[in-house]
Amino acid sequence: MTFDYTMRFDLKVALRYLTSNRLQSALLIGGVAIAVTVFTFNAALINGLAEFQIDRVVGSSSHVTIEPATPRPAVAPAPEGTERLVVSQVALERREQIKQWRSVERIIETLPGVTGVSYNIVGTGLVTRGEQTLPVSLKGVEPARLSAIAPIDQTLVEGEARLGLNDVLIGRKLALDLGIGVGQPIFITSNQGRERTLTVRGLYSTGVDSLDGRLAYVNLDTARVMFDLPEGLTEIELKLADIYAARDIARQLADTTGLEAIAWMDRNQRLREALEGQGNSGNIIKMFTLITIIVGVASALLLTTFRRRPEIGIMRSFGISQRFVLSVFMLQGALIGIIGSLVGCFLGWGFSTLLASAGDGTRRLPVDPSLGQYDVALLLAAAASIAAALWPARAASRIDPVEAISQ
Amino acid sequence: MTSSMNAPLLEVHDIRKIFVDRDYQTPVLKGVNFTLQRGEMVAMLGPSGSGKSTLLSILGTLMRPSSGSFRMLGRELTTLAEKELSDFRNQQIGFIFQYHHLLPDFTALENVMFPHAGRLWRETRAGRERAAMLLERVGLKDRMNYRATRLSGGQKQRVAIARALMNQPALVLADEPTGNLDRENADQAFGLMSEIQRETGTTFLLSTHDRELAERCERRIYIQGGVVVDQPQVVPGRSSLRVIAGDPLSVIDRTQPANAGGDRQRA
Ligand SMILES: Nc1ncnc2c1ncn2[C@@H]1O[C@H](COP(=O)(O)OP(=O)(O)O)[C@@H](O)[C@H]1O
Ligand SMILES: [Mg+2]
Repeated sequence: MTFDYTMRFDLKVALRYLTSNRLQSALLIGGVAIAVTVFTFNAALINGLAEFQIDRVVGSSSHVTIEPATPRPAVAPAPEGTERLVVSQVALERREQIKQWRSVERIIETLPGVTGVSYNIVGTGLVTRGEQTLPVSLKGVEPARLSAIAPIDQTLVEGEARLGLNDVLIGRKLALDLGIGVGQPIFITSNQGRERTLTVRGLYSTGVDSLDGRLAYVNLDTARVMFDLPEGLTEIELKLADIYAARDIARQLADTTGLEAIAWMDRNQRLREALEGQGNSGNIIKMFTLITIIVGVASALLLTTFRRRPEIGIMRSFGISQRFVLSVFMLQGALIGIIGSLVGCFLGWGFSTLLASAGDGTRRLPVDPSLGQYDVALLLAAAASIAAALWPARAASRIDPVEAISQ
Repeated sequence: MTSSMNAPLLEVHDIRKIFVDRDYQTPVLKGVNFTLQRGEMVAMLGPSGSGKSTLLSILGTLMRPSSGSFRMLGRELTTLAEKELSDFRNQQIGFIFQYHHLLPDFTALENVMFPHAGRLWRETRAGRERAAMLLERVGLKDRMNYRATRLSGGQKQRVAIARALMNQPALVLADEPTGNLDRENADQAFGLMSEIQRETGTTFLLSTHDRELAERCERRIYIQGGVVVDQPQVVPGRSSLRVIAGDPLSVIDRTQPANAGGDRQRA
C-alpha cells in the first residue's frame, strides 16, 4: 500500500471517478479510441498510398535530372503599346548538349547524399523487326552505371544485364510487342538517321509501362555514334538518399553549373497534385476525428460535472481549492485521452496490418502500418481531450458550494 | 499568540445578508452581532427560514455577507480573497450538515482523510493515521474501509463528524447535524460532538430544532427577525408564539413542528 501514500491525490480522485462509472468511462475511452483508430488508419492509408505512388515513380527514375540550359531567344523589347509575336525554331543541327560534363561530374562528386549518378545520351529512334516498326526511346548509359537509376539488374527477367557495344536491353513488354527474345537481333534507326543492328542481351520488367514498353538501353559509346555526339551528353541523372532534398540539390546544381536541374517532383506535376489532394482529404478526416473527440469528451465531462455538483460543493466547503477541483476534471480528460488514444493506436495499427497484406504476402490496400503517425495521433488526441476537459473543469471549479450543497 | 489566547474565537459585527433575485430582495440577516469564546459549545435556534443556514454559511466563509464583518482568530475574514478563504476554511473550520454529504465513491477512511489529502495534494501516513484514529473515536474502527454508501444513516453522520475534525479546526459549524437522525442516533451523534468538544477544546456552533439537545449545550443563541438575541422575544398578537410556562425553547417548538420541512406560512 505504499503506492497510496505517494500517488497524487487529484489523480487518485480522478481515477476513482472514472472507475466508479465504468460504463460511461468505457464508452468515452471507446469513442476516443475509435476516433484515433480512424486517424491512424487514415494516416497509414494516405501515407502508404503516397509512398507507393512515389516509390513507383521515384524508385525507377532519377531524383534530379540535369539537362542542357534552354537557350532563350534574344528578342528586342516591343515598342510601347504593341506586342511582339516570337516564333522560334529549334535548330536540329545545333542540338542542345552538355559539353562540359566532366566539370559537372566534379561538382556532383562533392555533393552529399548522392547515391547514384548516370551520364546519359538519350534520343528517339525506330526499332524494326520483320514487318513491325515501333518508336522507342534510346538511352545510352555507361555499362557500369546501368542500374544506377532504375534497378535494371534486379528487374531482369531473362538474359543478362550486359551492355557491349552491339548489345541492347529492352523491356519485356516491348519484346512481346516485337515478338522477339534474348539473343535475337533488332534493327534500330536513330532520329539522326544512323542505323544499327543490335542483339537483345536481356529483358527487364520494372512494372513501369514507360520503361518496359518504350525504352531500350544501349552502351553510351554506341549512343555517341547513333546520335552524333562524340563528346557531349544530353542528360545527367542523380539518385539521392533523401528524395525530399531533391529540390535543394537541383537548385544548388543549377546555380553552380548554369544548366537546368529538375527535381523529381517538378517533373511529375500530376503525381504532386495527386499527393497534395490525398494529403488534404486525409487532413480533413483527421480534423474531424479530433473534433469528435473534443465534442464527445466535453459533453460527457459536463454531464459528470453536473451530476457531481453536490460532491464538488462539499469538497469546497472543507477547503479543497478550486485548482484541485480543476485538476481532478482535467486529469479525467487527460486519462480518457491517453488511454483512448493508446487503444486507438493499437487498433489502427492492427487494422492497417490486417488490410495491408492478404496473408499470402501480397498487398490488399496500399496501407503502410508503419506510417500511421501514432505519435502525432497520441499527442493530438490527448491534447484534444485535455482541451475538451477545460470547460467542464472550469465549470466544476466555479461551482458555488452553498448552492450545490443545498441542492 | 499568548495575548490572543483569551480573546474571543469569533466576533461578529453587524452582518447583513440580502438575497437579490432579479428585482426581488429578501433581507434575511439584518445586523447580526455576537461573540463565540474558545471552546464553547453553542446552540443556535430559530424557526425555519430565519437564516440559520445563511449565517452558518457566512461564518464558514462559503458565502459573503452583504455587509458587516467578522473576525476569527484575530483575522478579518470578509476581506480575504477566495483562495485565502479556501485555505482558512480548510485549516480552521469544520462543517457538518444535516445531510451527511459523504463522497459516495470513497471509503469512510478516505472521506475523513479528504480535507487533509486535498490540501497537500497527496495522502500521507500521518493523515491516514489521524483519520483512522478519528474513525475509531466515533466508533467506526471496523467500518473504515467500507464505501460511504454501505454505511447506515447514523454511521454516515459519524463519519461526517470525523471528517469535520480532520484538520483540527478551531471552529466546527454544524447545521442541524441531527436533523436527519432518529432519537437514538441523534443522541449518539450529539454525545460524540460534546465529548470531542470537551476533550479537544474545539468550539462548536450548531443550529438545531431539537430543544433537548439545545439544552445540553453550554449556551444558546436565537435568530429572530434577522438578528441574534440571547433570549427570544414574544411577538404580541401571534398566539402561536406564546411562551409556554416560561420555557423560551417552546417558542421554537411551536413554530417548528416535528414534521415541518421548510417555510410554512403560519395561519
Ligand atoms: N440563495 C438564496 N436566494 C434567495 N433566498 C434565499 C437563498 N438562500 C436562502 N434564502 C432565503 O433566506 C431565508 C433563510 O434561509 P435559511 O438560512 O436556509 O434559513 P434556516 O436555515 O434558518 O431555515 C429563507 O427565507 C430562504 O428562502
Ligand atoms: Mg437551514
